[in-house]
Amino acid sequence: MTFNRLSEVQLDALKEVSNIGMGHAATALSQLIGETIYLRVPRVTVTDIAQVPELIGGAERVVAGVTLRILGDARGNILLVFPRESAQRLLACLLRQDEAGAVLSEIGVSTLKEVGNILASAYLNALGSLLHLTLIPSVPMLAYDMAGAVVDYVLIELSQAGDLALMVETEFHGITPGAEGIKGHFFLLPDPATLDFILDAVGGAP
Amino acid sequence: MSGKLRVGISEFRVARAPAVLIAYGLGSCLGVILDDRQRCLGGMAHTLLPTPWSGVQEVRPAKFVDAAIRLMVDELISLGAVRGSLTARLVGGANMFEPLYAPSDDSIGARNVRTARATLLALEIPVLAENVGGSHGRTVEFDLATGQVLVRSVHGGDTILAG
Repeated sequence: MTFNRLSEVQLDALKEVSNIGMGHAATALSQLIGETIYLRVPRVTVTDIAQVPELIGGAERVVAGVTLRILGDARGNILLVFPRESAQRLLACLLRQDEAGAVLSEIGVSTLKEVGNILASAYLNALGSLLHLTLIPSVPMLAYDMAGAVVDYVLIELSQAGDLALMVETEFHGITPGAEGIKGHFFLLPDPATLDFILDAVGGAP
Repeated sequence: MSGKLRVGISEFRVARAPAVLIAYGLGSCLGVILDDRQRCLGGMAHTLLPTPWSGVQEVRPAKFVDAAIRLMVDELISLGAVRGSLTARLVGGANMFEPLYAPSDDSIGARNVRTARATLLALEIPVLAENVGGSHGRTVEFDLATGQVLVRSVHGGDTILAG
């Protein structure tokens, strides 16, 4: 299966599955920070690997990226990207005031990884039980740096098999969209070989 | 972006002074800069992987360190560069998510750097300077008019690479 041959039906199926998965993840996040979290309907796109940094606001923008490998019945990566300001706001919600200053403090790093872990686990749980697959997140890793540098590690893995990435992307935000809320991007980047498997489970005929 | 020529992922570009070549946000990716100072002619590649998997027909050879360097050398020579006066500088090849991938000389970034050194050695192109490794991202800018290579990073500020 190559990504560029996905049909509309298959893309819709992936979108629906992701919508449910992300719903669970957003619930987990809003319980964690005690604020309602809204989700945009996920976008499922097949995109050139070279374009991915642009999709998260440009290669040089400073972001906090948490990445996890998906292990178990399917393989791939999950990547959560928070713009710098959102990462700081998230920490302000979760930590005591005197601890919340720096994203890169030990407690800051560990908090963001934990957020990533909770979101990814909620997502994979939902996805796994819908599709009857066992999906396990790896230990989360964090990088706080230029967006291009944060994502290229994941892209490199994908690029060994081709130049396209299947990306399930959503944005979440706090109470008022546009206001100074917490924004983030959630990416599911299945390995090409895994996609067949997911599509089979979804039942989307080609 | 005042006329800076952007070098995207899996691309390389060659140019003459007064052009400025720029690659944004290199992580494990490796930026390879070739320069013929006398002729103010040079190029930059934004590479992802050391070498292709065998048997895979590759549509974008500049994705790979080895192929990108060789293609760039050929193109520079066809534009009038002289093989013997080419020099190289390397930027990037970091390991962004250090802790989990233990032996860091086995990371993609480190392998990219090793491959570039080997290819450049085989082509007898001296490497004048490197700003590689570590666990931070870099943006690299190459000014063909002056030969200056500027490396920007979020945490470490700006560095100028000798040339």
